[in-house]
Amino acid sequence: MDVLDEKTLSELAARVRAYPYPREMVVDVLRAIQERRGWVSDEGVELAAQLLRISPLEVEEVATFYDKIYRRPVGRKVIHLCDSVCCFSRGGEDILKHLEKRLQITLGQTTPDGMFTLLPTCCLGACGQAPAMSVNLRLYGHLTPEAVDRILEEERREVSP
Amino acid sequence: MSREVPRVLFANRRPGLTASLAEFERGGGYRGLRRAVAELSPAEVRRLVADSGLRGRGGAGFPTGVKWSFFPHDAPPDKYLVANCDEMEPGTYKDGELILADPHQLVEGLIVSAYALGANRATVFIRYDYERAACALERALAEAREAGYLGEHILGSDFSLEIHVHRSAGRYILGEETALLNGLEGRRPNPRLRPPFPAQKGLFGRPTNVQNVETLACVPHIVAHGPQWFRGLARTPEGAGTKLFGLSGHLERTECFELPIGTPLREIVEEWGGGVWRGRRFKACLPGGASTPFLDARALDVPMDFTALEKAGSRLGTAGVTVFDDRTCMLRVTHNLISFFARESCGFCTPCREGLPMVRECLARLEAGRGTLDDVDWLKEQVPRINLSFCALAQGAMGPLSSLLALFGDEVLDHVGRGRCPLGEG
Amino acid sequence: MPTLTIDGRTVSVPEGKTILEAAEAAGVRVPHFCWHRALGALGACRLCAVTVLDGPQKGVRMACLTPVQEGMRVSTLDESSWNMRRSVIEWLMANHPHDCPVCDEGGECQLQDMTVAGNHAVRRQRGRKRTFHNQDLGPFIEHEMNRCIACYRCVRTYRDYCGGDDFGVLGSRDRVYFGRFRPGRLLSPFSGNLVDVCPTGTLTDKTSRFRARPWDLEEASSVCPHCALGCAVIPGGRYRELLRVRADPRPQPNDGFLCDRGRFGYGYANRADRPRQARLEGRPGTLAEAVAALRERVEGIARQHGPEAVLLLGSARATVEANALLSLWARRLGAADPVFDLAARRDGAARIFARAAPALRATLADVRQADLTLVCGADPLAEGPLLALALRQAARRGAAVRVIDPRPVPLVCEAERLPLAPTLVPEALRFLAGGNGAGLSQEVLQPLAETKRLFDAARRPVVIGSAEGLGPDGVRALLALVAGASRPDRDAKAALLLPGPSSFACARLASAVPNAQDLRRRLGGGKIRAVVALEVDPLAEAPPAVTGVIEKAELFAALDYLPTATVGRANLFLPSAGPYEQDGAFCDFAGRLRAFARVLRPGTPILHTGKGNHPPRTFSPDVPGGDAAPAWEILAEILGISGGLSGARAEIEKAFSFLQGLAGLRADARDERVLPGGEPPAPPGAPAGPEPAGLRLLLSDPFVGWEPLSAHAAVLEVLRPEDAVYLNPAELARLGLAPGARARVEAQELSEIRVARAADLPPGLAWVVRRRGSALSRLPAGEVFACRVAREEGA
Ligand SMILES: Cc1cc2nc3c(=O)[nH]c(=O)nc-3n(C[C@H](O)[C@H](O)[C@H](O)COP(=O)(O)O)c2cc1C
Ligand code: SF4
Ligand code: SF4
Ligand code: FES
Ligand code: FES
Repeated sequence: MDVLDEKTLSELAARVRAYPYPREMVVDVLRAIQERRGWVSDEGVELAAQLLRISPLEVEEVATFYDKIYRRPVGRKVIHLCDSVCCFSRGGEDILKHLEKRLQITLGQTTPDGMFTLLPTCCLGACGQAPAMSVNLRLYGHLTPEAVDRILEEERREVSP
Repeated sequence: MSREVPRVLFANRRPGLTASLAEFERGGGYRGLRRAVAELSPAEVRRLVADSGLRGRGGAGFPTGVKWSFFPHDAPPDKYLVANCDEMEPGTYKDGELILADPHQLVEGLIVSAYALGANRATVFIRYDYERAACALERALAEAREAGYLGEHILGSDFSLEIHVHRSAGRYILGEETALLNGLEGRRPNPRLRPPFPAQKGLFGRPTNVQNVETLACVPHIVAHGPQWFRGLARTPEGAGTKLFGLSGHLERTECFELPIGTPLREIVEEWGGGVWRGRRFKACLPGGASTPFLDARALDVPMDFTALEKAGSRLGTAGVTVFDDRTCMLRVTHNLISFFARESCGFCTPCREGLPMVRECLARLEAGRGTLDDVDWLKEQVPRINLSFCALAQGAMGPLSSLLALFGDEVLDHVGRGRCPLGEG
Repeated sequence: MPTLTIDGRTVSVPEGKTILEAAEAAGVRVPHFCWHRALGALGACRLCAVTVLDGPQKGVRMACLTPVQEGMRVSTLDESSWNMRRSVIEWLMANHPHDCPVCDEGGECQLQDMTVAGNHAVRRQRGRKRTFHNQDLGPFIEHEMNRCIACYRCVRTYRDYCGGDDFGVLGSRDRVYFGRFRPGRLLSPFSGNLVDVCPTGTLTDKTSRFRARPWDLEEASSVCPHCALGCAVIPGGRYRELLRVRADPRPQPNDGFLCDRGRFGYGYANRADRPRQARLEGRPGTLAEAVAALRERVEGIARQHGPEAVLLLGSARATVEANALLSLWARRLGAADPVFDLAARRDGAARIFARAAPALRATLADVRQADLTLVCGADPLAEGPLLALALRQAARRGAAVRVIDPRPVPLVCEAERLPLAPTLVPEALRFLAGGNGAGLSQEVLQPLAETKRLFDAARRPVVIGSAEGLGPDGVRALLALVAGASRPDRDAKAALLLPGPSSFACARLASAVPNAQDLRRRLGGGKIRAVVALEVDPLAEAPPAVTGVIEKAELFAALDYLPTATVGRANLFLPSAGPYEQDGAFCDFAGRLRAFARVLRPGTPILHTGKGNHPPRTFSPDVPGGDAAPAWEILAEILGISGGLSGARAEIEKAFSFLQGLAGLRADARDERVLPGGEPPAPPGAPAGPEPAGLRLLLSDPFVGWEPLSAHAAVLEVLRPEDAVYLNPAELARLGLAPGARARVEAQELSEIRVARAADLPPGLAWVVRRRGSALSRLPAGEVFACRVAREEGA
């Protein structure tokens, strides 16, 4: 299993060489790996360590800190539903119930077809459009149960038209 | 909208669009930069900013001129300027709006501020979820570079600057400026011990100035129009400038508005926010993001300015105003807020790592009607002690908690007395 | 010096100190977890809250972070700070297990102490406690994450202080986790320090897990016997079994840290095959019989064949007292001085250094505070591990570290390396002292000139060598360099790594003139009839020319506590006590006498006698296996000296003036007495011969596998290096050896098969790391020998 494709790998390696402190690229490298594989496996951590010339532990220390670096397998699309105060006060919990019902999973789980993983997130910076969620890096606001159904449909279609 | 208000940072804002370089220039963009590099020494720019009364827009409200006076602008390179666009405090979304609407505001702000500080490297630290804004910003940087505003010998001067964009991976604590520096260095983003302050030993041990996006965006306007003009924008004598207010919660219109500093809360709620939603009444609000103490209806006439809000027992913070209607259980809201802070704790210091989850559990018990009077006493004890945390994250969490106990203490006790939430289901 | 009061006590401390440090000085204890004397302040635990009653910022403050100010008034008893500390304990205990009875830390746990001190007796929290999975961290450290209070001491110790990179902090919020990327052995040679610094039972000593409650341990102040640095240790044992070794927390000499060899290498003392019974011509006997036999036979042979027929072998691991009494015995017999070190070159180097002026001899503290360190022909991690750690502390303070050595010497800090053939190292030192660098190539001279500039600019440079690496010529150059560089404003010092804890004293007890030639003559003359080996294993450490003579001696007597080859062959054996089983003294590499106290009496552990059953079912007035006695006691008996240790020490002081003060040393006070310098050693005898042509063999010592005590500790087996021969890649290719191939290495009529490996070495050099028991390892380290390396065919 290749963790990164040749091209990205050589691009990253070139940037690492250009940086006086390669370590500063750790989040970039982890994100690049995640972009390709969906998540960062142990091999991904080891590859990042090799690239950045630090120990796997030092990469892992950073990788396990950030919420949006996934160190466990996730579905093809990760739904992050905001549970912070603005969304919460405008019906965010109802949206959660709806998502759970539609996807037949609870927070932290992945649908059996491997399509969606449902995770909470703190404020997405879309408080004016509460309740809000993101699917991978795409933001959706003003959520209603109907809107959620439509979004799920579209996101699913994007992967398997 | 109801009133005429000055439009400075949002002058080029069009719904759903991002202003191009041409639009920005047409609105007077890069005039501040031209003036700075052509006519003013860095010291003169610093002077203008000091005279303008500009205060930090990132939450702490520290006077920018004073902060800049600590910066060793004469030190040899590298010296760094960092724009803080972590913006993860619930209720806060103004910096994202600004970059999406008009990214050159930030770009020019960074260049002029770097010029003033003698910084030769700048970085925009941007949160994971602002990918669209990050892309807009990168486009703007390319445009600026193309137009000679950025890169080697800016506008033919001796001043050169590069600006990088760092995309983060999601944690509120990175907004804390020393945690942010650790994050940029690829280390665990725990806050750092101070002293040394970032101005002395920041990024990679070099002098570093971390500034909020909006603060930076104000700088070119001050340079272009002068400090007196900037002070004059505010509606209070001690205030200066406009402010981006991000409205949220139980309002009819939850948008981001640029309004003069000192605009009364009532005006924001009733006019700009279109009033409390569903015809309900105002119960409380967070005036400046999740870490500011609640205000109740008695405070509606407070001018939204740093000093006035402190007098009213809260803070302007990030000026993200979250309103709660009269059917809201404030205990429940506080439980949500504390859950946020507990989850976002970096885990470094004991009060935050261990204390906040305990507070959360205590609030959950009370909310469910299983709490006791001892629990309420215990909560009260926690406030001054958790306030002794290492960084301001846990102290921020104590804002809502302390004001819950002060303003809505009876409501809390009611939960104990009735064994359930007095406001029923919602 | 600001003056302030803390709880009514007035104290003055230097500017820049914190309230916590001032309180320590005033004798007021401020509770703390994350602050650590050697690691400094962090600000994470928030336990050290005190109230500033008068001062620039009044109110509750963190004592470890708040600098003192003139006139400050501080209270630790004030209610608000007391309440804060109570809350910190409550927070930490909320998720802490309540199973202290099955926690190895119980009884010496700082969390337990603070919980009691903070009056936290009632749990106000409800709900489940947080739990974690533990990791297997290898054979030394047990991990129980549920007990962690996230004080960060372990990470700061492991990463910052010790330079490891495979242990750290993972996760965040209320699930921070201290561990490794994957389960597995901690790779730092200083991993054991985690046990000492962790204030809770999260990281404990696996080698003694569940063997004793701390209060049941017999403990005493002792000195580590595993190298010449003399780290202060506190070993503990129970039921005649040595169970653990911890560092003395006091700052000197080792700053409260140990290496894993010193900490986990104690297993030799408990071995089931440890020789505990005297043997006379193959027949078991009592120690008393054996002592009588030893005296009679040695004296008899001396009478009959002349004192030249007696060869006494002293040793670096026996106490100063035992070695001194052995010398005294030689005098009484009219025999030659004992031979304290069979490696003649190393011996010669040590004798020179042992006579250097005390002011030139660097201690570990000097190394930690150095602003430039040069490591020349020494491998600190192998020859004196804590010195490598001290180097790291110097580097962390900004000192440059330069290594001049042919080998890729491993260190735990950044270092700049200058590879140089072993024979050229002395010349390099002379060049640094202002010599012309004759014999050094241009490509070497350039970086050396740069090093010289650094050296000349440094105010506290320390130059580190090793006796075996430098040899007499090198040590002379080393001492000349630092002596020439010391000025009133400038403190240049030298450190010389020596093979064992008494080496320095042995080198001083021996005459100034190295008697290597003399020994060769004596061995060659066929006159030797009696050999006495005092806690030394010549059969494993000397080449056949020497061992052949020894083995043939009419009397081959050995005193020891290790099951060595020598003990196996000796025809008179006397069981002696191990270093933690006696009172005595060692003398560290800087020439400081350091006393230690007995931890346990010698005896077969109950683990072996009762197969773990206790109490024993059969009763006897004697301690099983308890016949062993300290070697000094055996020798005092032979010499007719009475009065126990003080009697022996008095005689020693009388006979050897440079050991004055030995009698007054107290172990628990960590007294030390610096040996004076001596007559400058005589000029060298024959200069070192020309370097052999062709492939040359260089031997050196590993961290674990050669030092005799730890080589007999089973738990350290995992740290033994591979039996390899290292060559540079071009050389490997030339010899037709692929990395990993089996190669036969031959030198000085010794030969063995090793795995060929590539390393960054000068051309023409084959490098072998010694292992006790291997044939080639009988050749001395540091010297170069002509050798042959060839592919070994077949499986
Ligand atoms: C937990 C925490 C989160 C913060 N988040 C942000 C943020 O997202 N953006 C920001 O500009 N400042 C944030 N700050 C404040 C910064 O530490 C810093 O004071 C600010 O960036 C300085 O810029 P200013 O003076 O322009 O406001 C945060 C502070 C804390 C303690
Ligand atoms: S208050 Fe402490 S645990 Fe919380 S974020 Fe700050 S340093 Fe981390
Ligand atoms: S393992 Fe021990 S030393 Fe490390 S953080 Fe936990 S309690 Fe502290
Ligand atoms: S609270 Fe949900 S996006 Fe801000
Ligand atoms: S000892 Fe001061 S905060 Fe931990």
